Amino acid sequence: MFKNRIAIWIILITALGLALILSVLIGSERLSPFDLSGTDRAIFFDIRLPRVLLGACVGASLAAAGASLQALLRNPLAEPYLLGVSNGAALGTMIAFVFFEQFFFARPVFAFAGAGLATFTVYQMARSRAGMNVERLVLSGVIVTTFLSSIIVLLTSLLDAARLRGFTFWLLGDLSQATMNGFYLTLGASVIGTIVLTSQARPLNLMMIGERDAMDFGVEVGRVRMIVFGIASLLVGTAVAASGSVGYVGLIVPHLVRLAIGSDNRLVVPFSAIAGAVFVVLADTLARTVIAPRELPVGAVTALIGAPMFIYLLRKN
Amino acid sequence: MDFGLKNSNYKLAFLITFAVIAAFGCRGVEVSSPVLETREVNDDLGRTVRVPVKLDRAISLAPSLTEMIFAIGAGDRLVGVTTYCNYPAETASIEKIGDTQTPNIEKIIALRPQIVFVSTASQLEAFTKTLEDQGIAVYVSNAKSLDEVFQSLLHLGELFGTKGKAEELVSNLNGRADQAEHVHTLDEPTAERKNFTRVFVQISNDPLFTIGRDSFLTELVAQAGGISVTNDVPTAYPKLSKESAAAMNPDVIFLSDSEDNREASSVFKDSGAVKNGRVYRINADIISRPGPRLVDALEEIALRLEEKK
Repeated sequence: MFKNRIAIWIILITALGLALILSVLIGSERLSPFDLSGTDRAIFFDIRLPRVLLGACVGASLAAAGASLQALLRNPLAEPYLLGVSNGAALGTMIAFVFFEQFFFARPVFAFAGAGLATFTVYQMARSRAGMNVERLVLSGVIVTTFLSSIIVLLTSLLDAARLRGFTFWLLGDLSQATMNGFYLTLGASVIGTIVLTSQARPLNLMMIGERDAMDFGVEVGRVRMIVFGIASLLVGTAVAASGSVGYVGLIVPHLVRLAIGSDNRLVVPFSAIAGAVFVVLADTLARTVIAPRELPVGAVTALIGAPMFIYLLRKN
Repeated sequence: MDFGLKNSNYKLAFLITFAVIAAFGCRGVEVSSPVLETREVNDDLGRTVRVPVKLDRAISLAPSLTEMIFAIGAGDRLVGVTTYCNYPAETASIEKIGDTQTPNIEKIIALRPQIVFVSTASQLEAFTKTLEDQGIAVYVSNAKSLDEVFQSLLHLGELFGTKGKAEELVSNLNGRADQAEHVHTLDEPTAERKNFTRVFVQISNDPLFTIGRDSFLTELVAQAGGISVTNDVPTAYPKLSKESAAAMNPDVIFLSDSEDNREASSVFKDSGAVKNGRVYRINADIISRPGPRLVDALEEIALRLEEKK
């Protein structure tokens, strides 16, 4: 078992390395990375590299958040995008953009707050005396998502047309606005967030059996719940502030990881983070190149893969 | 339960409803039944449209059409325009019927126009049907180049009975365009295009939108003596990869002037345009509307391309 784990770590890290290398080598412009001069150098370091690196962090954040929310809510369909958490973060980002445009840090902070509020609301709505079931959770997520969407539509209608165009693209999940600042912030959040969530993996494992059983084992259920909701909101908030709502990453990545290695969260959470990074980096490589020199939003690519997967999971449930 | 009575109640209700609809329906027909003389014309899509010979109540659903109708001297016949219609100044006092994409159909019908001018038929199919059912003509005018703008102006002059004024306007605009034009068409062989000034038109900064193959601005830039570096990119207003943009190295950048599009994208920092200070803002309205002011845009672009040559 121990050897297996090391093997999986090696495989995943190698996959991430390969995905990053492949992705920086491919783009709408043909570059030779060993002979970078002038414009090519600027394209590589100022445009392509920040975007690829940001994509990796966004993927890691979303997948780690998804994996731990699924463990906490004992529900494989808990996904930041479907639960309305991403939309909460998107609304927060828009509010920051409209009212505090000059502060770079306002966006992630408001996105975090929006994500947190949405998470809390969905959780309260989904909870009933009989506990939480799949239908209730998904339904609550849908209601919060559509409600937040309508507020976003209202806001975009109030903004003038030139600003609106940027937002409609961004809402679909778009990495083209990547900057090094955005990358550093998201990198920090994704690494710290994944470590904290992994530290809660043992109590999460016990809570997957049942919250009452976990309490019998001495797990402080309320505290674990607060940490997971808080950190998941932080991860989703920073990811959305940097790239809009990239959907389905938090759904399909942890699912595939569980298929491969079982449901031990001590492995599922960190492995999901790495696999999520690989997934978004590859999806964005497609988004950047399939209709070059035009571009697709990366969220469209992840949704094209993720939505059929969601239907499959729902049927299997 | 007395189902019989209920049933007959329903029948009565149906009869009353029917009678009311019939009565109002008839009144509707009476009101819109044309006492006026009408004739058939073809619009830009080749649709046959029946219009009154004397037009005095028209609605425009596009800023470019509003500008054209004013330019040919029929602005006083407009009873409704969109919220985007801000030129000429007289538009301020005309009733607003919503914007181009989401016009308020109730408001349009309430204004009792004889004809509604639209710039595209694609999104408005259901809407067009509703208006035609009300006896309101829908005329599609979608000029996609300077020459087509001239054609549209003449057609509108014909429709509104201001033919003389329209012809005078078009000959005037044509003269100005000839002055400004350098007539490079995109059909010329690539080798000969090498000496042209390479132009990038930045519609928005982040995300980076530009003009593509299908935009009338691509042709306008060519007419002004330049060449759009994105003239091969499919669609009219594509979102462009920043990498590709950086590699294009334009000589001149035009910014469609708006609050968040006042500077060239950072991807152009090493381009000839930025290094030589050849980045120019152009009023977004004159380059986004295929109307009479497109000649102003042509003149301005041609002038900028001449500078520092």
